[in-house]
Amino acid sequence: MQTAIQLILTSLQIGAVYILFSLGLTLIFGVMRIVNFAHGHLFAVSALVVAYTVPWLADTGLPVLPAYLLAVIAGVAVAMVLGFLMYVFGFKYFQRDMVGSFILSIGLVLLLDGILLKTFGGAVRPVPEILPGTVTILGASVTVQRVALCAAAVIITAALYWALTRTKLGKALRAVSIDHEAAMLQGVPYNRMALAGFMIAAALAALAGALIAPISIVSPVIGADYLIKGFIAVIIGGLGSVPGAILGGLFVAAIETFGGFYLDPTSATIAIFVLVIVVLLVRPKGLLGHG
Amino acid sequence: MDDNLKLPYWAIGIGIALAATLIVKDPYISSVINLISIAALMAASLRFVMLMGELNFATAAFVGIGAYTAGVAVTILDWPFLVALVLGGIIAALISIVFGFVTLRTKGPYFLLIGFAFTEAIRILYSKSMVLGGNSGMVGIFPPMALDAWMPTFVMAVAAILIFGLYVLERSDFGRILTAIRDNEDVARTVGLNILFCKIACFAAASFAAGIAGSLHAFVNNVISPGDFSFLLAAFALAYVKVGGEDNVVGPLVGAVLLVTLGSYALGLGGQEHIFYGTAIVLAVLLLPHGVTGIARRGWALIARKEK
Repeated sequence: MQTAIQLILTSLQIGAVYILFSLGLTLIFGVMRIVNFAHGHLFAVSALVVAYTVPWLADTGLPVLPAYLLAVIAGVAVAMVLGFLMYVFGFKYFQRDMVGSFILSIGLVLLLDGILLKTFGGAVRPVPEILPGTVTILGASVTVQRVALCAAAVIITAALYWALTRTKLGKALRAVSIDHEAAMLQGVPYNRMALAGFMIAAALAALAGALIAPISIVSPVIGADYLIKGFIAVIIGGLGSVPGAILGGLFVAAIETFGGFYLDPTSATIAIFVLVIVVLLVRPKGLLGHG
Repeated sequence: MDDNLKLPYWAIGIGIALAATLIVKDPYISSVINLISIAALMAASLRFVMLMGELNFATAAFVGIGAYTAGVAVTILDWPFLVALVLGGIIAALISIVFGFVTLRTKGPYFLLIGFAFTEAIRILYSKSMVLGGNSGMVGIFPPMALDAWMPTFVMAVAAILIFGLYVLERSDFGRILTAIRDNEDVARTVGLNILFCKIACFAAASFAAGIAGSLHAFVNNVISPGDFSFLLAAFALAYVKVGGEDNVVGPLVGAVLLVTLGSYALGLGGQEHIFYGTAIVLAVLLLPHGVTGIARRGWALIARKEK
């Protein structure tokens, strides 16, 4: 029983990161109908910036928590600037062009891979512990950092959900993702919405990167693994669907954790793949997809 | 129909290319020629699936399957060279039929991402399989001694035959069906075409070529490891197609020659391969929507108009 609770907690916490990741992917796809493989690099850039600034700020005598919060702001800002550059110089010209945008993003992946490896080196960067200690939940012990990560992810997801359903911007984004021409006829400025969607997605990836930095080993290739899992989560849930991304993220995380514990990580990865195939056989557009 | 195939051009082109490989004696240049032939074959395979409007990232997986099949056939089963070579293509095609039967019901981003996941899953399988040498891969996949001196010519000949085969398919009625599927699948279905069957046939033909490219890769390098067959392989193939121009069959060939040559040169300079290919793809999609051959064709049209 205790193992089961421990495993459920672990999958929730991995799932939290996958959800932030796949929410961004699904948002970009919904609004712009593009597949962005360079999304993982926004995540990696933010994690790297955090991993470099926290020790540096801590050396100047700042306590570790404010140092971390400052680093998060810096990481998100750098990643957002990168995302903005990607949009203005690239994806802006490839809206609704799936193949073209995908090819562009693969080019960006290779380019950024090379640049990140060159600037940051291949070595992994440890981040000092931000929130020390562990708590016990239903007999299973979890570090405070991981609980904080989950809490942050839940808050961010809830905020996004609220924004998408209640605010004017969110309603416009949803309208564009359902039918962009009908939305434009209603006076929704499509280009501004596309930029907004892209930047929100970039912010989500950057936040995920900044959150994962203290509890993971940060290296320039950290994004690739999460990207694959994030995409699988989105395929399972259905591209363009926000609840689908949440469901898919939890699904993938649960299989990965339970499969990894009872079998081995390889079988878990294969199991995820089989799951995707089965879902697509039954529902070619994912569980909750419609577009 | 025969005029349509531009046979003389093909004969001359392949003839010149093969003759060039016979002249070259420098081992470094021969190895670059081998790389170019294999890259061109992969790019042609990727482009063939693009004819029906799908981006096939599973190409990398099928190249890997071909390479590992050839490796197993030669080093473990001790089968003859030619059997191993062809077997690589056949096994890749067979697996692609099963894979395609399931996944080709999906379209666009779903198909693309599934291919991507498939490539990574297959790669993990190799690295965990003890028979296939785990993470360090397989060694000692040698072609017959007699062929050693002729390897570049042989590799290029095989690649040329297959690329020509794909070209013939593209120009046949089957190729028109593929274009119809890309333009509007539902209309094609209403005239009674079995869409799924045609898609699987297209996918299997392309995967056969990819599998052979994999066997050639194994025989040329003598060593294969799971790291060789990541999705980056398909990304590189995509770079060749995009830089060369995807509108005609010569495009991927031009792209492969250009990028592999420049890439080997850049590696010699200590440059970073990833940055190089990444920049090439980004610039190509932003500045040359129809690739190098598109520019060449437009230039040619300008000259032709001036002469009139």
